[in-house]
Amino acid sequence: MIGNSPLCREFWDHGRSASCPIYDMHGHMGPHAPIYFPRAEPQEMVRTMDEAGVKLLVFSHHAALNSADLGNQPSIDAVRRFPDRLRAYCMVNPNYPEMLARDLAGFDGLFGDVFVGFKFLSDYHRRPLTDEGYRRAWEYADARGLPILAHTWGGSEYDGEAVVRTVAERYPNVRFLLGHSCHGAWDAAVQLALAFPNIHLELTAVFDDRGVIEKFAGEAGSDRMLFGTDLPWFDPHQAIGVLMNADISDDDRHNICHRNAERLLSSIVPDLVG
Amino acid sequence: MEFYDCNAYFGLPAVRPLAPVGTVGGLLEEMDRAGLSRALVWHIAQHDVAPQTGNAMLAAAIAPHERLWGCWTVLPNQAGEFPPPPELFSQMRLARIAALRVFPDSHKYLLNAVSMGDLLAAMSERRVPLLLSVARGISWGGVYDVMAEFPDLTCVICDHGCWGQDRLFRPLIERYPNVAVDTAQYLLDGGIEAFVSDYGARRMLYGSGFPESYMGGMVMAIRHARIPLAAKALIAHGNLERLIREAEL
Repeated sequence: MIGNSPLCREFWDHGRSASCPIYDMHGHMGPHAPIYFPRAEPQEMVRTMDEAGVKLLVFSHHAALNSADLGNQPSIDAVRRFPDRLRAYCMVNPNYPEMLARDLAGFDGLFGDVFVGFKFLSDYHRRPLTDEGYRRAWEYADARGLPILAHTWGGSEYDGEAVVRTVAERYPNVRFLLGHSCHGAWDAAVQLALAFPNIHLELTAVFDDRGVIEKFAGEAGSDRMLFGTDLPWFDPHQAIGVLMNADISDDDRHNICHRNAERLLSSIVPDLVG
Repeated sequence: MEFYDCNAYFGLPAVRPLAPVGTVGGLLEEMDRAGLSRALVWHIAQHDVAPQTGNAMLAAAIAPHERLWGCWTVLPNQAGEFPPPPELFSQMRLARIAALRVFPDSHKYLLNAVSMGDLLAAMSERRVPLLLSVARGISWGGVYDVMAEFPDLTCVICDHGCWGQDRLFRPLIERYPNVAVDTAQYLLDGGIEAFVSDYGARRMLYGSGFPESYMGGMVMAIRHARIPLAAKALIAHGNLERLIREAEL
């Protein structure tokens, strides 16, 4: 068995825990050309979620990330199919401001039932988080205290730690989820979390870097960490195994798997949280 | 179910990682934390210093620990830095060294018949496993090249990465019957199940990528994969046992 706590035992035996549901705060959906995904359709993803005890997945469809033609409609359709298991981030592609204008015009009508916030993917769209193409979304989210999940990567000119600091200072009311936690710039991620109370360290692709879980929990606090897998990219059982293996407490595991997400989402999707 | 790790190292790298494990004692502690029974391990000095130095450190460190097999590193031998293959294999057997690793890009040579034909031919004939890490020391092109020249080589492709490498390793699995992959960073949801469905369970080995990755992550993924228990056992330990048993050292 991995680890030696009662919670580890429950995960080990059953693959999931009744007392420790998981909120996966970073997902995607659908095919994506560079990668073969065996389980990228919503019904397959929900089955994976069932097996790992993932109560809710917040995602942005690959089509929304990479096709301004399709935009966020595939995300909306998937949430409509699984309204008790899925919520979406409204994807913002700063290269197509007309897409953002359209999405913002309809956002209030979809808030809560479909969208919980926004998703930015600056490295891929090659526009920094400070780009004018994002400004209206930042301001919208800042005025309402909404979550924004931004892909962040250590050293990136688009979404590295320096750019993150700039927008964190500029928009203090946004619930700012650092997707991948400025991957590789672990010290900087901790410093950002300590400097900005609205910043959360999201753990997608962090689970395969040994030592980071303990570092974040010890230096930034497990109350600032969020479970994420990029599903359908990464198997949530791998992430669970890492949390069992890491030298942290069951209290930390509860914070990472559900308590922090519940706190973030309780006012947005109260029927799904708790 | 027992888990045997085919892909772990210890020792202090020249560039310090976040959580290095310097000693074999530390490695064994981590194996216990993750519930691993045995492991095929190497010493980072084999890569960072020199194979001769690291090989000696590895052999000395694992000697008291029956739970561990070793994996040595070799180089092209035009300068006679290593014994000829039969003698090398004898030394491996005596030191509980069960496989070899090479890092041709890092150690600046080409892994091919011109450079290492005698050793690679002998390894193919005697089914001595060669572990290749595409994260350290060899490119996918290098793997394809050596397999084209030595199609019977017993080869475990390690650390193939978390960003979806099926389109790179599946052609090798289909073309060469003695190629297998490890699970280090094979995080793809449903990847294990799809692989087993397409190729069976004999071509995949549990490997952690420790100490850069946690041992427990892929243990949990294998344990709860949607594949038969017998398939899990092969991946978890059976295939590594078989490769070690079949090697004629």
